[in-house]
Amino acid sequence: MTASIRFERVNIRGFRNIQSLDFEPAPRLNVISGDNGHGKTSVLEAIYAVSTSRSFRAERLAEAIQTGAEAAVVRVQVRDGDLGREQRIALEPSRRSVTMDGKRPAKLAIYATRTPVVVFHPGDLVLVSGPASDRRTLLDRLALFLDPTSGDHRLRYTRATRERQRALLERGTNASDLPAFETLMVQHGTRLQQARRESAEALGAELEPAFRKMAPSTLEFTTSFVPGGSESPEEFARELASRRGQDARRKTASFGPQRDELELLIDGRSARRHASQGQQRLLTLAMKAAELACVRAARRAHPVLLLDDFSSELDPTRTGAVYDFLEGSESQIFVTTTRSDLFPTPAVHSADRVDWTVCDGRLERG
Amino acid sequence: MLPERLNKVIHLLARLPGVGEKTAQRFALFLATEAGDVANHLGAELTTLLDHIRPCDRCGNLADYDGTAAICDVCRDTRRDSNLLCIVARVQDLLAVERSGAMRGRYFVLGKLLSPLDGIGPEELPLERMINRIREDKVTEVIVATPPSVDGEATALLVARELEPTGIAISRIASGVPHGGDLEFADQITLGRAIDGRKAIDG
Repeated sequence: MTASIRFERVNIRGFRNIQSLDFEPAPRLNVISGDNGHGKTSVLEAIYAVSTSRSFRAERLAEAIQTGAEAAVVRVQVRDGDLGREQRIALEPSRRSVTMDGKRPAKLAIYATRTPVVVFHPGDLVLVSGPASDRRTLLDRLALFLDPTSGDHRLRYTRATRERQRALLERGTNASDLPAFETLMVQHGTRLQQARRESAEALGAELEPAFRKMAPSTLEFTTSFVPGGSESPEEFARELASRRGQDARRKTASFGPQRDELELLIDGRSARRHASQGQQRLLTLAMKAAELACVRAARRAHPVLLLDDFSSELDPTRTGAVYDFLEGSESQIFVTTTRSDLFPTPAVHSADRVDWTVCDGRLERG
Repeated sequence: MLPERLNKVIHLLARLPGVGEKTAQRFALFLATEAGDVANHLGAELTTLLDHIRPCDRCGNLADYDGTAAICDVCRDTRRDSNLLCIVARVQDLLAVERSGAMRGRYFVLGKLLSPLDGIGPEELPLERMINRIREDKVTEVIVATPPSVDGEATALLVARELEPTGIAISRIASGVPHGGDLEFADQITLGRAIDGRKAIDG
């Protein structure tokens, strides 16, 4: 049984240009329109923040506090299958705190997977065209759903790697603390490597069919995960020990999951370098559809979908694919667009769709 | 607004751990207005504190200094097992282990954890003193009770490596599920770590 996740009430205060906002979203489709700069994206960002404690924009979340406000607070009522709960995030200049039904969670990583949301925004094109780090971030986000300990291993691996690099730089390749940090890198690095491979496999299995649905059948799309390290502790340790000189000279660790790459190939060639703009857009959308499918399978719930700035890059192929995808989805959806009439959804029952207008940080129905 | 002298006291109090500007001001006003005798007593004690209290010469715990040596109560206690040594990072950790009542040996306080990013390399740690202590007391078993952070784990691994040639038994404290807690209420990360650090059942 796949449960549905629904936001039943959303309350936002002091968040970017939103002074105070309180609304009850439609269970299926919420189309939020308004001129640019009036707070459409802020609504999605606030929903994302309260669900994950993070921002999908590049900026730091603390900068979301409205000028003059002491804190930004987002509070939501969530229905998760048969259960209801309240989640809240409060952002202050130097700290953020989250609560679930009034209680602080033991671990942030666990809080972040309770109410699954998948966001799709214009910046996501870097997933296909950008550096490998963006694809690793996607794999890590998925890994949290498949193996909740993976985030902890990633933080510890990263810290141990930075400590080893500093020891190498300051005390050379025979420093007596290098074995200690390398042991920790092996311990956590092999686990991270395994978590990344497993999420790459899960994503890959969903990606290829998702792309086939959207793109002309003549194109062959495959993914290939290229690990930067090893899942074998012996091999990992051997590589680290033998690369000390090189890593000290180049000031970077040359072996390990920090060099993982998820290669996207169209007809066997790198999509990053060889795909057209249109193909890259379709691929990005396919990656989001695959992320949604993976989270749904891992969490056994339909994640909430946040679709930002739908109208910015209207092109007919992409739009058609998006409609098919959205209308077929059982997720609760929030979409922002400059003009709601550009967003017809004939297959969605009119009672299931609510159009909202944002003006000066206020939200009105219709 | 306030006399300069009082501002100075506030400024100094605010340097204490866990004390912010507002709490410091509250403390200072209390001392200045409502508790003249507390201020005088506190002042007198603080002036001579560092002359009388020092890290123990043997283990690093806090001890009375009599002008020639500082030996702490734990090191003086003859009923303790001197062959068993527990290595901790800070005096606070020693107190925590001591409260558990499970440690019947003695301690060695490292004072800090290995952390190259914060400029603390192996040479900043009192490893030589630790090894001397182990030789002198003919220690046969060492328990490393550094915290389960990356720096704490790295320090434990470094200590174990340094002690390897001595051939003595070295163990690391377990981390994981709290006693009396139901497994179903433990979070996945803590439980995951407990499973990683599982041990064989002696039957």
